[in-house]
Amino acid sequence: MIFLARRLAFYFAAFFLAITFNFLIPRLMPGDPSDRIIASFQGRLNESQVAAIRQSYGLEGSLWEQYLTYVGSVFRLDFGISTVQFPEPTASLLFYGATWTLVLVGLAIALAFTIGSIMGIHAAWNRGGFFDSFFTPINVMMNAFTPAIVALVLFYAFSLQLRWFPLGRAHDPNLMAAFNFQFIGSVLYHATLPVLSIFLVSFGGWHLGMRNVMINLLNDDFVILARAKGLSDNRVKYRYVARNAILPQITSLALSVGYMLGGALVTEQVFNYPGLGKFTFTAIGSRDYSFIQGQLLLLTTAVLVANLLSDIANVILDPRLRKG
Amino acid sequence: MSSDRALIEVRNLTVDYVGEHSVARAVNGIDFDIREGEAFGLAGESGCGKSTVAFALARLTRLPGLVSGGQVRLHGEDVLKFDKARLKAYRWNEVSFVFQSAMNALNPVIPVSEQIMDVIETHEPQLGKDGARKRAVELFELVGIPPKRLDDFPHQFSGGMRQRICIAIALALQPKLIIMDEPTTALDVVVQRDIIEQIVELKNRLGFSVLFITHDLGLMIEFCDRIGVMYSGELVEVAPAEAILTDPQHPYTRALGNSFPPLTGPRVRLEGIAGTPPDIRDLPQGCRFSPRCPHAMEVCRTDAPELRFYPEHRSQAACHLLN
Repeated sequence: MIFLARRLAFYFAAFFLAITFNFLIPRLMPGDPSDRIIASFQGRLNESQVAAIRQSYGLEGSLWEQYLTYVGSVFRLDFGISTVQFPEPTASLLFYGATWTLVLVGLAIALAFTIGSIMGIHAAWNRGGFFDSFFTPINVMMNAFTPAIVALVLFYAFSLQLRWFPLGRAHDPNLMAAFNFQFIGSVLYHATLPVLSIFLVSFGGWHLGMRNVMINLLNDDFVILARAKGLSDNRVKYRYVARNAILPQITSLALSVGYMLGGALVTEQVFNYPGLGKFTFTAIGSRDYSFIQGQLLLLTTAVLVANLLSDIANVILDPRLRKG
Repeated sequence: MSSDRALIEVRNLTVDYVGEHSVARAVNGIDFDIREGEAFGLAGESGCGKSTVAFALARLTRLPGLVSGGQVRLHGEDVLKFDKARLKAYRWNEVSFVFQSAMNALNPVIPVSEQIMDVIETHEPQLGKDGARKRAVELFELVGIPPKRLDDFPHQFSGGMRQRICIAIALALQPKLIIMDEPTTALDVVVQRDIIEQIVELKNRLGFSVLFITHDLGLMIEFCDRIGVMYSGELVEVAPAEAILTDPQHPYTRALGNSFPPLTGPRVRLEGIAGTPPDIRDLPQGCRFSPRCPHAMEVCRTDAPELRFYPEHRSQAACHLLN
């Protein structure tokens, strides 16, 4: 418990640091969003109009006052008004996009972690055998591709040429969002190729990670003892070896979330999938500062939450971390 | 305590480590018996093959290790020819293991109770979960750990307690032989003594045999009935413990005995053994110990001596000096 409380304090501090940087960086750069708008009027604005524009971007008062206003608005989940989808609040766009990104990344991570780890367990247990010699190099090679390449190939082959999968969207536009078989089926159908492209470039990492940790553990005394006890192969393999090998994997899982989100942003763009990535690309193109800032903060928070979850999982799975 | 009936007969046991382009013979055709109720010790420097022998006896040899010849007979039955079913019954029912490092011999992430109960449930499923737990409680009491700590995790115990738990696990099915591979090396001297005394007491009470492996000859002489001294994959001397102590025949046995401080008596300068054991992939001609032997003769460098029985010394030894 002390361990978790300490971690929680750490994440809270990290979150605050992220907010602060998110606030400072745009302000340290020359020019701000209001300059661009004001310049586009080519001097036809009077002083009070300029002040109003600057105020709407939270650029009024001293840096400290601006900071307090910013922190306050973050905790009220107020990220301003989007300029691209005017007058939609940025927050609702962010959460709409984040939901679909979460569907993609969540499914892809779950699949890649499970399938990759199971393959790794199998490869390590029969190391040097056919399965290991065949799949280990192939999976490592798959891991070397970038999500963009795989996404383009899949999109071209299965969406454009074969027409097996849709050309865009997260679900059939004629269906209302609901918790029923039809809607969820449609969501899964639209998510298949994007999830597949993230999955294909990441499961090899879990395979290799699990395999390497397992092989090291196989020579540990407690594993040899388990075999000497005459326990069944499956018991030794899962309860003794894999049960220990999974611990470092969970830590890597948290570290990989940022990378996976980055991959998802590109993949969404290729598949025209309405996640954070697609909105972000539009926002960058049209200098929608409030969206970009909000999106950065959201990604940072996601990585922090993932790390917190992995800490909790580690405490549950590893008795050595529990005090008492 | 020991009878004269052999429990385990090792004959011409040969174990190789197979590399891609080379074969290293780690154990070169050794013979010895472990009698019923006896504590038999295997002594020797690191890398002499004593643990390799222990692993072969328990059928735990894994690639790159390969048992390439010989027999290990349990009451006349060849252990090396056991099929899968017989092997499963052999493991732990007849032979169990205690490892050197009490720190690593237990699975760190599951409770100790599960690690005792799983072996009981595997081999005696008719007992059920409750029966297995009852046995586990008895075993904890046997080695002097409060049974209320059964569900604790390994890291919550001290090194000595962990080794006691390992002994409790080894006793779970009342095996005929317990192989102890440096069971006390990782412990401090005081705890070492407690553990050894406990093993002696349990052995006398339950009547199992022990194959005791260590490089600490002093400890071994106290604990074992008979001792085999290994050098570079071969047995150079096999004799009763007191003969090894008072009348060692092989120069290597003498040298090994001089490498440990006596527990009592005046301080003496320890001699140690000059040089290092040979690389088993590049062995010297003749007697393998000859390059380090202070008494080596011409014949020692050309002909390998054979293990012979010298009744007047009650010792089997392999040395040209004795002829």
